[in-house]
Amino acid sequence: MADWDEEYNRTFGAGQAAVASGSAPPANPFLERIRDVARDDDDIDIDELMAPAGIQAGLFDRTGSSTQGEPPIQQLIRHWMNERHAPDILPIQEQLLASILDHIRRQSDAVQLIRSDPGASQEEHFRIVLVQTEIERIKFIVRSYLRTRLFKIEKYARYIVSNVDIQTRISASERAYASKQAKILDNHFWVTVLQSLPEAQSHLDDTPIFMPPMVTEPDKSRAVFVHALKQCPPVILPDGSSLEMAKDHISLVPFSAVENLILRDEVELV
Amino acid sequence: MSLPQSLRTSVIPEELEMIASQELVEVIPLIAMEKTVFISGEFGPLRPPMKSKIPLWMALNLKLKKKCHIVAPEWLNIDYLQDRLTRETTLPEFSDLPFRFAEISRLLLDAASDDIPNSDKLRLVLKDLREARQAKSREGLQQLDHSELSLPNLCSMEINEIRPFFIRSMGIFTQLQRTTQPQE
Repeated sequence: MADWDEEYNRTFGAGQAAVASGSAPPANPFLERIRDVARDDDDIDIDELMAPAGIQAGLFDRTGSSTQGEPPIQQLIRHWMNERHAPDILPIQEQLLASILDHIRRQSDAVQLIRSDPGASQEEHFRIVLVQTEIERIKFIVRSYLRTRLFKIEKYARYIVSNVDIQTRISASERAYASKQAKILDNHFWVTVLQSLPEAQSHLDDTPIFMPPMVTEPDKSRAVFVHALKQCPPVILPDGSSLEMAKDHISLVPFSAVENLILRDEVELV
Repeated sequence: MSLPQSLRTSVIPEELEMIASQELVEVIPLIAMEKTVFISGEFGPLRPPMKSKIPLWMALNLKLKKKCHIVAPEWLNIDYLQDRLTRETTLPEFSDLPFRFAEISRLLLDAASDDIPNSDKLRLVLKDLREARQAKSREGLQQLDHSELSLPNLCSMEINEIRPFFIRSMGIFTQLQRTTQPQE
C-alpha cells in the first residue's frame, strides 16, 4: 500500500514540476537543484557510499525550500522534536524515514562485511564500534519518533477514523492501526457500558448540549515553544494582534497560530 | 503503551543531551583513524596530534577509552561566562549563550573535566548563571497571557524546565478567555 502511495506521489510530483518548468522561466530552486547535482557528481569519486544519500538529500531540497542543505539526521531530529511537542499529529515524513532506514541498512551491511573479514585490523574494529554506536543512536530516534506518533494515534483513534483531513497526514499502516484501535475501543465501550444504556444514550458520537464531546480531539490551543528558523510571515494570535518572528526568535504561542509555519518548516518546536 | 508515561508531557533532559551531542567539537586524537563515512556525514581522518572536528558523542566515546583530548568550545571558559554572568545580573534581558550550552557544558564537565582548564571554577560560574537566568524566567511569568510570550535568548534546557508550568498556565488563561468572551 505504502509503495503505491509513494509511487503515485512521485509520478504526480514529477509531472507537476515538469509543467511548472515548462510554463515559467526556471525559478531559483531549480538553479540550486542543478548546483546540487554538480556537487553530487564531484562526490562520487571521493566516496561512493555518500553519493546515494547526497542525491536523496537533493530530492528533499525540492520539497522543503527553507531547509535546504540540512543533513537528513538534523531533519529527523527536528521532526522528532516537533512531533513530541505538537498536540496534533503532524504529517509523516515517509521519504525522509525511507532514506534514513535505507542508509542504516547500507551502513549495517558494510559493518557486517568488515566484521566477517578475518584480516581486519585493530583500527578497523575500532571504527566499526563508532559506526555501530551511530546506527544505534539513529535507530533510537526513529523509534521514538514513530512511538510518539503511535501514542497520539491511540489517543485520538476514534477522531482519526472520522476525520479525513488527519488521515492524509498518516501513513497507510498507521491508518490501519488507528481503525483497529478505534474498533477495539468501540467494542469495549459497547460491551462494558453502552449496551445496557437506553437507546438514546448508547452512542459515543452524539453531541449533548453543555457537554464536551466524548471523542478525544487534539487540543490545538495548547501552547508550544517555537524557534524561528528564518524570517517568518506574520501570524495572527488569539487576541487578534499579529506576530512577526525574526530568525532565531523564541516564543510561547498557541499551536494553532503557528501550525502552518511548522508545516512549511519555517519554525521548529523546542 | 507506545510512549512511557514519563515521556508524554515533555522531553526529558537526557533526550536533549542526546540532541546536543550531535554538535561538533574539536578534539586532539591520540589514535589514528582513516576518514570514515557516518550517516550524519564523514569525519576524520584523525592524525595525532592534529586537531579534528567530530560530533560530541563520538568525542565522548573516544574520551571514555582515553583515545582523545577534547578542546573546550570557545564559550566554555571563565572569562566568557563571567562576562555573561555580569550582564545577566545587571541587564534585564537574557544574555545570548549557545542554545544548548547547558547540555554541552554538563556533558563535557562530566566526562572530560581534566581537558578543560579551571573546571571546578567553571562549574560554579555555570551554576550562578543558571540561577540568575532561572530567576529571570520566573519573572517572565508575570507577562504571560493567553496569546503570546516572547522569550529571546532562552536556552533549550531552560525552556524544558519551565515548559510544563508555562504551558498549563497559558492553557488556564485560554480557558478564562473563552468563558469571559460570551458575556461581552
